[in-house]
Amino acid sequence: MAELQLQHLDKIYDNNVQAVYDFNLDVADGELIVLVGPSGCGKSTTLRMVAGLEDITRGHLLLDGRDITRAPAKDRDMAMVFQNYALYGHMTIYENMAFSLTLRKENPNVIHKKVMAAAEILDLTAQLNKKPAQLSGGQRQRVAMGRAIVRNPKVFLFDEPLSNLDAKLRGATRREILLLHKRLNATILYVTHDQTEALTLANRIVCMSMGHVQQIGTPLELYDSPDNTFVATFIGLPPMNMLDVVFEDGKLKGKGFEIPLEEEEKALLAPWNRKPVILGVRPEYIFEGGDLNLLVSTNENLGMNTLVHGTIADGVRVTAKFRSWTNYKNGDIVPVHFTRKLFFDPETTRAIRKEGK
Amino acid sequence: MNDDRTTRLDRMRYTKNTASSRLALLAIVFDVLFFISLYKSDVDTYYYKAIIGGSIIYNLVFMLAAFLCSEGVKRYQKVYSWVLIVLGAIQVARIFILPMDAHRTMISGAPVMGDAQFIFVVICLALSAVCLLAAAAVNLKKCRELSAHLASLQA
Repeated sequence: MAELQLQHLDKIYDNNVQAVYDFNLDVADGELIVLVGPSGCGKSTTLRMVAGLEDITRGHLLLDGRDITRAPAKDRDMAMVFQNYALYGHMTIYENMAFSLTLRKENPNVIHKKVMAAAEILDLTAQLNKKPAQLSGGQRQRVAMGRAIVRNPKVFLFDEPLSNLDAKLRGATRREILLLHKRLNATILYVTHDQTEALTLANRIVCMSMGHVQQIGTPLELYDSPDNTFVATFIGLPPMNMLDVVFEDGKLKGKGFEIPLEEEEKALLAPWNRKPVILGVRPEYIFEGGDLNLLVSTNENLGMNTLVHGTIADGVRVTAKFRSWTNYKNGDIVPVHFTRKLFFDPETTRAIRKEGK
Repeated sequence: MNDDRTTRLDRMRYTKNTASSRLALLAIVFDVLFFISLYKSDVDTYYYKAIIGGSIIYNLVFMLAAFLCSEGVKRYQKVYSWVLIVLGAIQVARIFILPMDAHRTMISGAPVMGDAQFIFVVICLALSAVCLLAAAAVNLKKCRELSAHLASLQA
């Protein structure tokens, strides 16, 4: 059992800069939580507070109901995997993995069994007599994970573990982390700025910006029902198109274009009649054919999909993701229509939804 | 018990033979204590002989050889055990060369090397030899166990 509770965590540095504001999260046993957000949003600071590497200014941290807010890092029963691996270059892989247990003066035979078991899981058995410099980046990161596994901690903390790897290796190692999580059923807190990692790995995602939690939810919830414009534009690649419009006469009116709405959408926007609204449309919900004219600027073929960048009406930039190979040229006009639409309040940036959703 | 032994043997595939290595290094320490005690003596012209020059050169060779052996046995290399045995035997033989001679030689009615110093240098050389022989023995035993274990893994 390893349930982690972060209650009203604040982090204020000595120079009065506040990095984290009122962070609340309950992590269930065996859950993989991903903290995602742009650089400087406070996600790594939060992780370091949980690890005990940063003091918690205010709030409480509970592990299985035990308050560990002021407990030193070594007594928290957590293992952290760093971006830069933090391996000892003069030690072999075996010695690196065994190091924390050796420091604890555990029985050498017990250490050996744990190291061999972890090496087996991570497919590192053949590398145990090598030095870190002889391994690839992905293998080194696996060693760093192995070092965490042998400790059998209650919680695993990952701080951008894949950032140093190339794209191909990142994908492979990401799948290994996913398999590892399923195999160990471990409670994991994972920090990344890569939304692909967040969407593919997480049971739940915590999206952060400027030290504030923007939304907590499953990957699908964040993707399909973002709470605000930040989450809407941060999650998803390419990001969601955001169009400034006014809801009037049952239509959305922008600069030189009009978009008709379904009855349900009209009912939703009724309180915003003649008021500005932000219309959010994901690129994959823009389809060829319709009343809107997209003036193409660039056409990017990605194999399965094509990204078409352009403008509608008076310079409103839009990116569409067509599920086909297209060869539009600069200046082509493509008729398009939007299917799934999201609406945001321009004043608060919060999503406009039916009550209770 | 059997499981513990198997684990201990398997561990040797990934861990160094630190016991033998440290014993070889300890032998160097005892040798250093020996020659510090010996060379600080300055009785008349007794020490101004070719044998002292030879002794100094041998000490340098010994330290280098013992250090290389300590690195070799760390990696379970059997050949270094034989070198350690030879070095140990020479350390025993050295007791009967300079220390014994200096202890017997009288200058101005007194021995060149007094009883206390003689006992000290003999103990240093003896301990150095014991360390070398023990390092060799431990390494030979571990090498034999490891090769048997590796053979059983391949079978």
